[in-house]
Amino acid sequence: MFSLFFRGLATGSIYSLTAMGIVLILSTTNVMNFSQGDMGMFLTFIAFILLMAKIPYLVTIIIIILMGIFLGFLLEKGLMSKVRKTSHIGMVMITLALTMIFEGIVGIFVKTPTLFPPAISGGPIIFGTIIMDRQDLLSLAISLAVVIILFLALYRTKIGIASRSLAEDEYAAKLLGIPVKNIYIFIWAIAFGLAGLAGIIVAPRLSLEPTFMLVIQLKAFIAAVLGGMNSVLGAVVGGLLLGVVENFVSFYIPQIKDSFSLILVVLVLLFLPQGLFGKRETRRA
Amino acid sequence: MLKIKNLHVGYGPIEVLHEISIEAEASEVVAILGSNGAGKSTLLKTISGILTPTKGSISIEDIVINGSEPSKIVKMGIVHVPEGRHIFPGLTVKDNLLLGGYFRNTEDNKKNMEFVMSTFPILKDRLNERAGMLSGGEQQMLALGRGLMGNPKLLLLDEPSLGLAPKITSEIFQIILDLTKQKEMGVLLVEQNAKKALEISDRGYVLVNGKIALSGSSDELKNNPEVQKLYLGGKNV
Repeated sequence: MFSLFFRGLATGSIYSLTAMGIVLILSTTNVMNFSQGDMGMFLTFIAFILLMAKIPYLVTIIIIILMGIFLGFLLEKGLMSKVRKTSHIGMVMITLALTMIFEGIVGIFVKTPTLFPPAISGGPIIFGTIIMDRQDLLSLAISLAVVIILFLALYRTKIGIASRSLAEDEYAAKLLGIPVKNIYIFIWAIAFGLAGLAGIIVAPRLSLEPTFMLVIQLKAFIAAVLGGMNSVLGAVVGGLLLGVVENFVSFYIPQIKDSFSLILVVLVLLFLPQGLFGKRETRRA
Repeated sequence: MLKIKNLHVGYGPIEVLHEISIEAEASEVVAILGSNGAGKSTLLKTISGILTPTKGSISIEDIVINGSEPSKIVKMGIVHVPEGRHIFPGLTVKDNLLLGGYFRNTEDNKKNMEFVMSTFPILKDRLNERAGMLSGGEQQMLALGRGLMGNPKLLLLDEPSLGLAPKITSEIFQIILDLTKQKEMGVLLVEQNAKKALEISDRGYVLVNGKIALSGSSDELKNNPEVQKLYLGGKNV
């Protein structure tokens, strides 16, 4: 029972990491980011090369996060900022194009699903009847740390608070002299940093191939909808919740294992379109 | 301090403002009057850099500012408090205020924060509340306070009385007047409530269909029969 819950939580933490990236981008730049998952896939592929070259795991993770941050910077500076004024749908198309580019590049080198080494090896940790996989524990711990760091950044730093203001009212943020362009860069950098991290954590459990993050991307969307689409906290809770519920469902009713999350998204949109943490207009007058 | 010369502004092919020339000095409240759609808000948006003029120039202390990014214009001391307040409802009152001083250093912000607290004591008790929970009047005070955090030389106020009870409007107008004298700040005041606006302003311009139809001291404008008829509730309105 607890093992099921725990496994679901670990899976959910990956959904959360990816969903946070999607929600951050959507709420501040208004772009539906389809490339969050495949950016993670691409970075995981780079991580694979680094690991094969005997670079230590921890160093690899750090390089991957930094690379994600750099790619986010590059994307905003080089592409998004140029397209923003002329075409909003163009920005969404760019994220779609990125998925194809990344899948294409990785597809050249990875023809068959390849096993990705886990960060820590060794058998599961067993307390009585509770069985916990080491990699699962690690992904939960890392996700928790990242959520805390991200929330500190968003609520305690100047640029974080400014990012939130941009998500609420771009016009007002501009009038206050907030350097909107830098904030877009900041947000894309964070999102793609998260993408790399999510990819490298989940890869050992799945296996490396060009489309291995597509399922995660889809589940992250659902987690984001569950959380209300514009709330980072919602994305975190939505991801964890989805992971846990999904794991229970697939254990007790395996027939609807794959369709469950899609049924869930329909139900949420029907009965709770604001999601769990969606912002209702609580403004007076 | 502020000099606008022969300004033309349009949205795409449609020109909204034609041949606007306006001046404003420090310690002075200048009212911009006009009916809906006369182009008052467009004028303020152009000064703060949201819109770019097609012709003409805007300068502050003899430095031309049109064509600059809003963030640069704010740094030069022109702060725009927009119509409808546009506070950040999900952020705390404190964060709202701090964002008003985004480009100022911590020390300035501390000083300006104290000043804002003394001007609007009501905000002090609600610093950690979400701004969306404030009443309309408090939100307007927050919007003003947030503008003051930028320590402006020139404050652009767009409809500060919108949706407020007369008593609160008077209170806010009195504060605006005091601030002007106290901080030697210029104020460009766009108002529908022409009567109140002319009470606290030194001079005024009347915008009709994107052109300046009339200008003069507020007393002159108050006694002008045309202004009385159109904006001050004369008999034929």
